[in-house]
Amino acid sequence: MAATKEELLQRLSDCVLNMEDEEVIDVAKEYAAAGYDPLDGILKGLVAGINKASDLYEREEYFIPELLICSSAMYNALDVLRPLIPKEQSGGKCKVVIGVARGDTHDIGKNLVKIMLESANYEVIDLGRDVPVEDFVNTAKREGAKVIGLSTLMSTSMNNMAKVVEMLKSEGIKDQIKVIVGGGPISQSFADKIGADGYSVNAAEAVKLVDRLVGNAEPIPAA
Amino acid sequence: MLSYKERLFKAARGGSVDRPPCICPGGMMNAIEQDIMIKSGCAWPESHSNPDKMAELALSLYLAGGFENCGVPFCMTVEAEAMGAIVDMGDMDAEPHVVKSALNSTQDYAKLKNLDLNSGRVKTVLDAIKIIKQRDNTVPVIGNITGPISAAGQLVDMAKLLIEMRKSPETCHKFIELVTQNLIKFAAAQVEVGADVICIAEPSGTGEILGAELFRNFTVKYLNNILESLSEFKDIIKIVHICGRLKSVYNELANLKCDVFSMDSAVDLKLLHEYMPNHRLMGNVSTHTIGTMPEAKVIDLTQNAIARGADIVAPACGLPVSTPLDNIRGMVKAVRQYNLN
Repeated sequence: MAATKEELLQRLSDCVLNMEDEEVIDVAKEYAAAGYDPLDGILKGLVAGINKASDLYEREEYFIPELLICSSAMYNALDVLRPLIPKEQSGGKCKVVIGVARGDTHDIGKNLVKIMLESANYEVIDLGRDVPVEDFVNTAKREGAKVIGLSTLMSTSMNNMAKVVEMLKSEGIKDQIKVIVGGGPISQSFADKIGADGYSVNAAEAVKLVDRLVGNAEPIPAA
Repeated sequence: MLSYKERLFKAARGGSVDRPPCICPGGMMNAIEQDIMIKSGCAWPESHSNPDKMAELALSLYLAGGFENCGVPFCMTVEAEAMGAIVDMGDMDAEPHVVKSALNSTQDYAKLKNLDLNSGRVKTVLDAIKIIKQRDNTVPVIGNITGPISAAGQLVDMAKLLIEMRKSPETCHKFIELVTQNLIKFAAAQVEVGADVICIAEPSGTGEILGAELFRNFTVKYLNNILESLSEFKDIIKIVHICGRLKSVYNELANLKCDVFSMDSAVDLKLLHEYMPNHRLMGNVSTHTIGTMPEAKVIDLTQNAIARGADIVAPACGLPVSTPLDNIRGMVKAVRQYNLN
């Protein structure tokens, strides 16, 4: 007997939550083959699962290794479902350029923020790690991004975060592009000092921060 | 009057001292800032690879009224590079950092390159320790080792390592065991050329990242492998630093076989004494404060660290290279003037 849509959504969610990063591919294929709405599969299945995983993370039942396997399960199923979404539905809220500032190659925090932003329907342009100051600014300009997200785990790359803000100011586009910062050595007072628009203590908070910043900046037309 | 070395050894072993020592180990817990690079003529990145300049830079900071020790190296990439990772040497603003891992997966552990004591920056560090010892044998010399999980996370991509800890723990253990054997070789060599203290810093294998179970099975296990293998050396002090909040692993920490435990500024040092009654505690003055705030604020936090029971006063993590030298001097002075009673 064929599974109902609700059953399959539940299984997609459970696979993500329970770190079943291989089984989830079969479930996504079954869901797609049954002709159910792919966007529902992503939002009500996969994203629901990753949200539950981040709840467990906040309660300190899950830690980073668990969260990484949950997100790789989510990505594996996204690879199946995303191509099925009609173009006009797939546009994000707005573009966010994200990366680890030059001087550091730790990118776990950045990757988590990326996953959370993507699941909140932002279009994320990931520059990777050890990224030079000018790459952040030039990419944001070229892509029309509203937000630059800077991450670091090492105090030595904090200077380069300040330089991104300075470069935006010197080009006169600081008002159009918001800068958010995060990572181990970073604090709200550091964000204030360098003139960043926001600081977030973790990935889930980063989404709320971006929502607030772009909401305040100007209404973003649905793409 | 105690020498800096005598005071550090007493404090680290629970003896009575007139005041706590004030140190900054080096390695991941960077002590170097730009004023001293310029004054000494031993700037980064050159002093990461040249033993004379490495020794001179460490000594210059000490002699300028900086911390009461010399520490080398100035980064946490020496071991990973020696085992096959590709390192960007950075510049005066940025520390050396790994840009390409040595292996794609922990499954490739057999391909790991052995750390060679007679070449590259491993040799630079050993030579620098010898030079410092020849120039001044009253200053305690701290040799630094990158923690086994942090080193492993440079040799294989960190995210991959964390996933494989859960998904294929057996191969992951084999890989980290091999990394640990190489770290032991480097640590023992540092002691043999004269290091008085070995500090192992673990910024990645933390309780915050791993949770209690993986922290116990990986971080504590391999740190202890290193610490136990150093137990043949009776006259050294062993320090372990773990970054981040420790709440999830409070009950694991007492098992660490080090003399001194060093922690982040987010940790309540006074509370930690209850969980680690047999360890001496080191820390934990905010590096953000030392790096960016007025000297008075630094002095304030330094006094607070002593009042909360720091047996050894130190920055809570690595200092930013832009730290004003006067803030370091102010911190050291505040410790020297503190009345313990």
